[in-house]
Amino acid sequence: MPALHIYELTTGWAAAKWLLWILLYLSLGILVPWVLARAWTHQHQVTMQLRLKQLFQSGELGLVGLMLAISVIWDLQKSQYSSYTIALGSVFLALTGVMAGSVWIEAYCRRSSGIRFTPGRAWRDSRNLAFLVFSLAAVTEILLDRFAKVIAL
Amino acid sequence: MRLADPAATLAYLSLFFGLLLVLFPVSFPRIIIANWQSARLTPLMILFTVSVNLGLYLAVAHQRSAKPGILAAACLGSLPVFLLAALNFVLQATIAHTFAGSSPNASLLVDEEILAHTYFAMIAAIFFPFLMIRLAQQFQS
Repeated sequence: MPALHIYELTTGWAAAKWLLWILLYLSLGILVPWVLARAWTHQHQVTMQLRLKQLFQSGELGLVGLMLAISVIWDLQKSQYSSYTIALGSVFLALTGVMAGSVWIEAYCRRSSGIRFTPGRAWRDSRNLAFLVFSLAAVTEILLDRFAKVIAL
Repeated sequence: MRLADPAATLAYLSLFFGLLLVLFPVSFPRIIIANWQSARLTPLMILFTVSVNLGLYLAVAHQRSAKPGILAAACLGSLPVFLLAALNFVLQATIAHTFAGSSPNASLLVDEEILAHTYFAMIAAIFFPFLMIRLAQQFQS
């Protein structure tokens, strides 16, 4: 790879825009609900535990993961990667997103039907799968960033 | 077996790949492409993904004090091989298609395609067998 390409791939704060973009999703999906819940308890002068584990105990983090996966699939579809790479990435992101979202669905069905529901398990499952979607989204955005730079050369 | 069990390890692996890409934007892809050009990439990926899968499975079985099943172990050992071999054929066709185009920097584009393929195929080869086992368990119950 020529020296110019090394420079193009490594330089500038613009290369970190994928991180800012993902942090925006995480703040909207996790931080904003937590702040709103705190504001509500303050307004109603209610004392309750407001940890993330309690707030997302029904597997809602899985829904955040699904939302993140959909947005990355959208970015991937707009890229100039070959149709094969787009299909592979999209299918895999969709699978992980759906499995993350299904944690909330399973928790909801269990609670509604009265079948044994363990909040700790729903929290752990949704947290792990949302973390997986987050890491996939981050690396996919890095790859998209690199590909856009190579296209622009 | 729950999907969340391998998900965390897979997420760390994915982040490690991303970190290598950010810290070594030229040398790390160069290693991958050199291995692909010498036809060593797919066998190495098969070896790596099968080892990770079996390690994860044994770790989860130990954690849950469950006896590892031979069927699940066979699934974890064979699915990545079939998946990576199939994806490799499709990648070859994609590379041929890219070179056939009129892009002035086709070689660089192919390098990026190989890099993306390696990442997605590696993650899919680890996650997909566990997904199959999970779906089979749900179907069975």
